[in-house]
Amino acid sequence: MEAVPVVSFDNVDKIFNRGGADETVALKSINLDIRPSEFISIIGPSGCGKSTLLRLVGDLIAPSAGTVTVNGKEAHQARLDHDYGMVFQQPVLFDWRTIQRNVELPLEVYGFDKAERQQRARELLQMVELGGFENHRPWQLSGGMQQRVSIARALATAPKLLLMDEPFGALDEMTRERMNMELHAIWRQTDTTVIFVTHSISEAVFLSNRVIVMSARPGRIMQIVDIDLPIPRGEHTRQDPALFEAERAVREWLRKAEAFSA
Amino acid sequence: MAAARPQSDPTKLPRAIRQFFALLILLLLLAALWETLKWISGDPWRPDANPFGLDHNPPYRFKIASDLNLPHLWDIFAAFGKESRRNGPPLISVLFSASLFTFREAIMGFIFGGVLGFILALIFQRYALLDRGCMPYVVASQTIPILAIAPMVIIWLKAGWVSVAVIAAYLTFFPVTINTLRGLRSPEPTAVELMASYAATRRDIMWKLRLPAALPYIFTALKISATASVVGAIIGELPSGIRDGLGGAILNFNSYYITSPSRLWAAIIASALVGILFFGLVTLAERLVLRDRQAPDPV
Ligand SMILES: Nc1ncnc2c1ncn2[C@@H]1O[C@H](COP(=O)(O)OP(=O)(O)OP(=O)(O)O)[C@@H](O)[C@H]1O
Ligand SMILES: [Mg+2]
Repeated sequence: MEAVPVVSFDNVDKIFNRGGADETVALKSINLDIRPSEFISIIGPSGCGKSTLLRLVGDLIAPSAGTVTVNGKEAHQARLDHDYGMVFQQPVLFDWRTIQRNVELPLEVYGFDKAERQQRARELLQMVELGGFENHRPWQLSGGMQQRVSIARALATAPKLLLMDEPFGALDEMTRERMNMELHAIWRQTDTTVIFVTHSISEAVFLSNRVIVMSARPGRIMQIVDIDLPIPRGEHTRQDPALFEAERAVREWLRKAEAFSA
Repeated sequence: MAAARPQSDPTKLPRAIRQFFALLILLLLLAALWETLKWISGDPWRPDANPFGLDHNPPYRFKIASDLNLPHLWDIFAAFGKESRRNGPPLISVLFSASLFTFREAIMGFIFGGVLGFILALIFQRYALLDRGCMPYVVASQTIPILAIAPMVIIWLKAGWVSVAVIAAYLTFFPVTINTLRGLRSPEPTAVELMASYAATRRDIMWKLRLPAALPYIFTALKISATASVVGAIIGELPSGIRDGLGGAILNFNSYYITSPSRLWAAIIASALVGILFFGLVTLAERLVLRDRQAPDPV
């Protein structure tokens, strides 16, 4: 028997401002099972509903039709059970907190004691290459640095399910590659399931077991591309002809998706 | 290795000094304007009545620039040193104790109004329905002139510092409600979503997100309230028959205006100083509390 999916979409629609003049069908007939410990990327044209999909998993918005199940429960219950961690498309840092205290925020809400909070936050800031910035304020950091803080914050609670909305969008190519390696290592060492939204084909292919290609208006799943590259991935993966083959396949589908949307 | 915590902006202290000089220059300009007006169109300057020993007959005579309406600045400042009534203590000591008295009332009114305004904002933030239902009445309450409210409050509460503070509070709660409410609602939706993703309680969202986000708004309101509470206290004294504060002093000197206008002007200056002092104290508190925020409020 198959293991219970970590996330399961069953015929999900999401319609914003239903019945209004500005009604938007953001997602239409989404069916998707995400297996435990899977790294799954979502790629698609802007406005196709990637962020909306993550928000549905996180129970930050409710589906208009169908059900979203997380760890076998309703998404709502999963949220109350602290089943996931989320990296938003914007960093969403609190100006009145230092970087360190921003990373501690979820731990505070979860009720961790102070010593543990500080310890974890420091470790994670080291990991995202922001050691030394503990006492800075968010507005003193660049956009890419802020986004890395928000990643550290999401990792602080060591979630079993990580929802990431274009986390590396604001980074330069080299930092991005290093961050990809870090994320890959975390994913391998823990049995975390990752849903990862990105606009970068190479990033999606490099990190994922599967890449979901979406089309827009209404947002649908166009194709799911399996990436059969050996794990762990690293420098050797970047030379692997299978990588280019997978990238080509994703690009192909993306092109179809864009044509479909237009 | 990353940079250490950045040093505070080296231009900061000079900025405070610059502001002080800017204010000083502004005051000097106003004084110059005042006396120029009198030079052109006031009463004749007698050499024994001004510090420069000038003898001058202004070419025009405008009523507003007469010695009665616009006394010479030196006469106003000299009035501080003269006795307040025959064989009485000097005016400055009378005005000082009156200022202290009014300041105390204003502080009480500021606190009453601040607490009331804050609680109303919390309620309106929590219950959007109440906000829609009650806000029009709160707004309407502000269109009723304070002079109509004051006698009623005094009848209900008996004349005393409590009634004065309540009248002052009436002027101060409104900006606090409006601004606090605005501040509590200022976090972007994604910030609320972030807290929701932690399944944070309403209380956590209030303490860790809404209140800190509202602080700059609250301070803006408190600065308005600080000066409004002084006005409220002075107005509150008038119908209360309280004679120990600046309201009493203004009323008193008002009735002697014909014989010595400088004393009323001195009382007005004292009132302004109390308002400025209160405003300054709140601004100082704001600077301390919000020192780590990004753009410091220029006001
Ligand atoms: N809160 C909302 N209210 C109304 N419409 C919304 C809302 N959120 C999203 N939408 C609409 O839903 C559609 C999908 O938006 P979404 O943010 O999920 O796109 P996306 O795939 O994440 O795009 P991008 O790659 O630009 O981030 C868009 O057409 C958007 O206008
Ligand atoms: Mg998005």
